[in-house]
Amino acid sequence: MGIKVDSQTSPEHSWPLLSPKNSLIALLFVIMAFFFMLDLALGSVKIPLGNVIDIVFGKGSENEAWEKIVTYIRIPKALTAVIAGAALSASGLQMQTLFRNPLAGPSVLGISAGASLGVAMVMLASGAAANAFAIRQLGLGGSWLIVVASTLGAAFVLLIVLGIAVRIKDNIVLLIVGIMVGNITISIISIWQYFSEPEQIQDYLIWTFGSLGGVLGSQLYVLAIVVGIGLMISFAASKSLNVMLLGENYARSLGMSTLYVRITVIAATSLLAGSVTGFCGPIGFIGIAVPHLTRSILNTSDHRFLMPSSCLVGAILMLVCDIIAQMPGSQTTLPINAVTALIGSPVVIWVIMKNRNLKSSFA
Amino acid sequence: MKNEVLLTHDLAIGYQNRRLAKEAEKHGRKYPGKVVADNLSLDLAKGELVCLLGPNGSGKSTLMRTIAGVQKPLGGHVTLDGRSLERLSTKETARLLSLVLTDRVMTGNLSVYALVALGRYPYTGWMGKLSKDDETVVREAIAITGTRRFACRHISDLSDGERQKVMIARALAQDTPVILLDEPTAHLDLPNRIEVVRLLKQLARERGKSIVMSTHELDLALQAADRIWLMSPVQAEESGKNIEMISGMPEELILDGRLEKAFKRNGFEFDRESGSFRINQHHEGCIGLVGEGTLAYWTKRALERIGYKVVIDASLPCRIEVSEDRGNRWWRYYNGKSGEPFEIQDIGSVISCIKKNKTGSEIVA
Repeated sequence: MGIKVDSQTSPEHSWPLLSPKNSLIALLFVIMAFFFMLDLALGSVKIPLGNVIDIVFGKGSENEAWEKIVTYIRIPKALTAVIAGAALSASGLQMQTLFRNPLAGPSVLGISAGASLGVAMVMLASGAAANAFAIRQLGLGGSWLIVVASTLGAAFVLLIVLGIAVRIKDNIVLLIVGIMVGNITISIISIWQYFSEPEQIQDYLIWTFGSLGGVLGSQLYVLAIVVGIGLMISFAASKSLNVMLLGENYARSLGMSTLYVRITVIAATSLLAGSVTGFCGPIGFIGIAVPHLTRSILNTSDHRFLMPSSCLVGAILMLVCDIIAQMPGSQTTLPINAVTALIGSPVVIWVIMKNRNLKSSFA
Repeated sequence: MKNEVLLTHDLAIGYQNRRLAKEAEKHGRKYPGKVVADNLSLDLAKGELVCLLGPNGSGKSTLMRTIAGVQKPLGGHVTLDGRSLERLSTKETARLLSLVLTDRVMTGNLSVYALVALGRYPYTGWMGKLSKDDETVVREAIAITGTRRFACRHISDLSDGERQKVMIARALAQDTPVILLDEPTAHLDLPNRIEVVRLLKQLARERGKSIVMSTHELDLALQAADRIWLMSPVQAEESGKNIEMISGMPEELILDGRLEKAFKRNGFEFDRESGSFRINQHHEGCIGLVGEGTLAYWTKRALERIGYKVVIDASLPCRIEVSEDRGNRWWRYYNGKSGEPFEIQDIGSVISCIKKNKTGSEIVA
């Protein structure tokens, strides 16, 4: 029996594409742009879409109040939604692939819990009345103090997890250790809350509801730069993440350093999830759900493609949640953290039930 | 002259252990850990297919991992393509040696083509984009392994046999002179097993790949392998070493009785003639068989199965004579009590008749 090589004779088009076409990413981008504009137009004050477009492209508007609302409130908020959605989705995707676990997300390694601990330390610390006073004066979301505290908290937990990650060989063990570190952090916060004044607890609780509206001016630049760096690291890790799909043993046999990838992914995730949690509060759900949604819709496992599409899908979902959270036409707004899960979960359930290919992604 | 691509020199495999390392220092032992096997000096030539045999827990996987550079040796060296494995970076090793593991690749949403393409990882740039040459290699790997038919299918939709061939295609796409396979025929049915082994033989012969596969299937290994590496348990000594490595051509190992000796355990008998194990034990006695050809062979097999020792001897009082003439078959069964034989014309009745009579001559040592 001789070796038959039919690759030359068979027609070129019969080979499958390695990843979906780039036009799909362009389509997602257009959808995101649409919801971005919609997010600018809708809110407690309704501004016609045409005027919004004029303002965005610098033509201005005859209504000065509209111009102010769009420029100083809605554009920063919508940009924050895009950045947060992209960051959380990208880090969730990496966590799920690294740990080969569908329930992994940006918060599994305790990074969000660490950020919460930092915030809790500032808000609940007894004898720091001056601080608490200052926070209330500045407004909760817009405080640099909160941002710095949550970043330091996230970094603290991250250093512990990284220290463990270097010593442990097995990713599943690392996952469990990460969850445990997160639990320890959360219970420290609980104890702290137990001994705190009701007003302090209220401040902390409001922070945990999450908010996209507090990131203004220079904070937005900082958030954008940090997330930008995190996303660049994530994109660079795409090739290695693809190999991780084969499992650690195969990845190693292909010449990949698993430790290097693990450190890269954890660093990227902490930049992404840590900064977003710091600026917007702990936003759940997006990080776990969007990667599933994207895989399910696009039916691929190629991270070079999944990474940008997840970012776009995350941004879209975040914008939609923000539109719903501000309840167009009314004066009330809902906490964003509640809306993401409330709106997002049915969407994910629907997509997964319809496509029935989630299970094949992991099992 | 042999052209060795893989050499091990005085290799000791096992697990490093801090406590045992301390003890080793104290007692002047050679290796800092739990030794599975040592003094392994093996070689693998270009285009050679080697089957690694041994009972469960004998250290086959440990040896594989050590050769692949995944696990550090306790002592000695592995040389790949003339260079010491310790000096090679993981990336360089990945271009010399590929693995097919028992790990199940569980990812869905991954087409066979994309999976095989991942084998090009050591050759592609930082974004992993395949060049035209890379794609040619991938397509050739798929074509050679006969996985072209399901190149578009998802890996989760494949049968075990198909998946194994895809994993071999992936190793082939890695384009390495040495391929190690850990029990590639486990979980496969007979046709798939034969197909996989045939494919490996073909890769060794026609592509010059040097292949080591671990397996539990002795008959398959004896038929296919150019050489056998047999890890055989010996009496545990004080030193902790309890595995002996036997290496040689299959026929050589059978003829000089080393294989038989290695497998000699309670109730296990290795039949040199057929190169397989005898499952049946002789407790019913001895029976003579007269005749030749296929008919005699399968009659012997049937008698052995129901527990008789069969000897080619026409003088035994309890014997069977078989003959075949123009498609007609006869069995003459002498039960050793009455002089007249039973004349029977199908093998099923022969066996039930013997079972009913429960006779046999005593086994003469």
